[in-house]
Amino acid sequence: MIYQPPAGARDLLPLEVAQKAWINDHIQQVFQKWGYQRIVTSTLELLDTLTAGGAIDPANVIQLRDNSQGTLGLRPEVTASIARAAVTRMAGNTYPQRLCYRANIFRNLTQAHHGGQMEYYQAGVELLFAGGVLADAEMILLLADCLQELGVPNWQILMGQAELTRSLLAIFPQEILPQIHHCIANLDRITLESLALEPQLQQRAFFLFDLRGQPETVLTKVATLDLDVATMNTVNNLKSLVDLIKRSSTHPIPLTLDLSLLQTFDYYTGMVFEAVSFEQNQSYLLGQGGRYDQLLGLYSPQNETAPGIGFSLNIEDIHASLASTNKLPQQVKASDWLVIPETAAAAIAAFDYADKLRNSQPGIRVETELGDRSPEEIRNYAKTCRIENLVWVKPDGTVVKEQKT
Amino acid sequence: MITIALPKGALLKDSIDLFKKAGLDFSLFLDKSNRQLQITDPTNTAQALLVRAQDVPVYVEYGQAQIGIVGYDVLREKKPKVANLTDLKFGYCRMSVAVPKSSTYRRSQELPPHGKVASKFVNCAEEHFRQLDLPVEIVPLYGSVELGPITGMSEAIVDLVSTGKTLKENGLIEIDVLYESTARLVAHPLSYRLNRDNLDDLVSKLNNLV
Repeated sequence: MIYQPPAGARDLLPLEVAQKAWINDHIQQVFQKWGYQRIVTSTLELLDTLTAGGAIDPANVIQLRDNSQGTLGLRPEVTASIARAAVTRMAGNTYPQRLCYRANIFRNLTQAHHGGQMEYYQAGVELLFAGGVLADAEMILLLADCLQELGVPNWQILMGQAELTRSLLAIFPQEILPQIHHCIANLDRITLESLALEPQLQQRAFFLFDLRGQPETVLTKVATLDLDVATMNTVNNLKSLVDLIKRSSTHPIPLTLDLSLLQTFDYYTGMVFEAVSFEQNQSYLLGQGGRYDQLLGLYSPQNETAPGIGFSLNIEDIHASLASTNKLPQQVKASDWLVIPETAAAAIAAFDYADKLRNSQPGIRVETELGDRSPEEIRNYAKTCRIENLVWVKPDGTVVKEQKT
Repeated sequence: MITIALPKGALLKDSIDLFKKAGLDFSLFLDKSNRQLQITDPTNTAQALLVRAQDVPVYVEYGQAQIGIVGYDVLREKKPKVANLTDLKFGYCRMSVAVPKSSTYRRSQELPPHGKVASKFVNCAEEHFRQLDLPVEIVPLYGSVELGPITGMSEAIVDLVSTGKTLKENGLIEIDVLYESTARLVAHPLSYRLNRDNLDDLVSKLNNLV
């Protein structure tokens, strides 16, 4: 029998780990610069916790039975866990809370994707107990900062506003609204055309379907509609946000506003966004996020609702998008020294010497030769493993260094 | 440069005619001596991929082609995540249930429970009989589906019918129509949302030609 990981799961070997660590470390550094604290939540949650927001279909969660606790699930995202932890365990802390994470997540495969991926890695942030335009702007600027720092080529941000789209959809009769919502979310213009709608409503449906492009142009288009005060407010806030993002960033942020950007089910209540990039005809979804002002309330023992916003970066897609650049480490780090006891009796002296080397400077990598090899075999090994410095140790502790010039 | 996925087979000629009217000439694909599967139009503004009809939505879903032309039957069967933009009105056919003329079945409901139905469109067939609450065994076939009832392997078939000639010549009759199908213009959602390579221009040009 050959033991292998299940379809959809995989092993990461040292070079890939080094490359992904490079990505993760850069992202965490940026998070840290913006004042975010790392939090670690459990990989396992009660299924109810994971699906409470209404955005996660239990069928997409890998479920486990626990006889004492009922159904558990492997987290398909981290936001629900952080929301739960923040309102229960961190209640009473000072506000706002800036939290970040790096974690693996799990998605159950749908039938259509034979052998597709089940385990993913994400890094993300959640800015909790903070609403308003400034918090929204911080998310986009932080996201842009991460992508800039990583050097992802040709990234751009696609932004929507769930609340605004919902209020623009409110003029449609209740019985047909779910269908229109579905058509717009899934870009199904043909079905939209076939719905029995009055000409005026059909026109509005197409107007919404096409509501995307340069933020200023889209906002001008929206302003031509007859809007109520609350919606007008949302539009104005969106305008200030776009303006704020534009003026606050040192690099221009390529931003497309798409008011048809919505999910069929989600917990987003305000700004939503995706970061994407294209390489030839390959598209990468680098990250995604949005504002969720109802979610924290679901987990609060007192049902107290509070605003929140966050995003997650998809490490696999970022890794793939960086493959064509020379940013990622191309080799695993070689050891700096190989310490070789000349005879079995020199073992203690060799370990001593290796220890001395390890403490001589931070980050130094020192291996010890484990014996049974001829000097020639040892030199060949060092050459293959790119170890530049060899040191031969005698039982009395004297050493002969052999350094590559 | 925009990449377009074109379906081999029944829809190819009309698809190429449509793009020709929009200023993109891919008629090389109609040349029998041509073996190239990827060509660029003479004005060097777009390239086309020649793929099996069932694979068009795959290339479009994964973004290797930004747009494509594919029959509604394929979309119904595979439910790909693509933007459905335009009903191009050509390539009419219908998905039907057919049985041997000599049989007594005249409606889907009359088929025996746990009977066998042969089809290339496994999902569509399954959905149809599930809606009727009639348990049947779907036998997947990849072509000449008509042979299912002829050889006695299945009681019925679910298949595409355009003129009905093939059914007639094989002694089968249509007893139910699941849906009607025409060619559709589909797009890669993200490319469409971001208007990559001015996709909007080409899409509205094509819309105006329908």
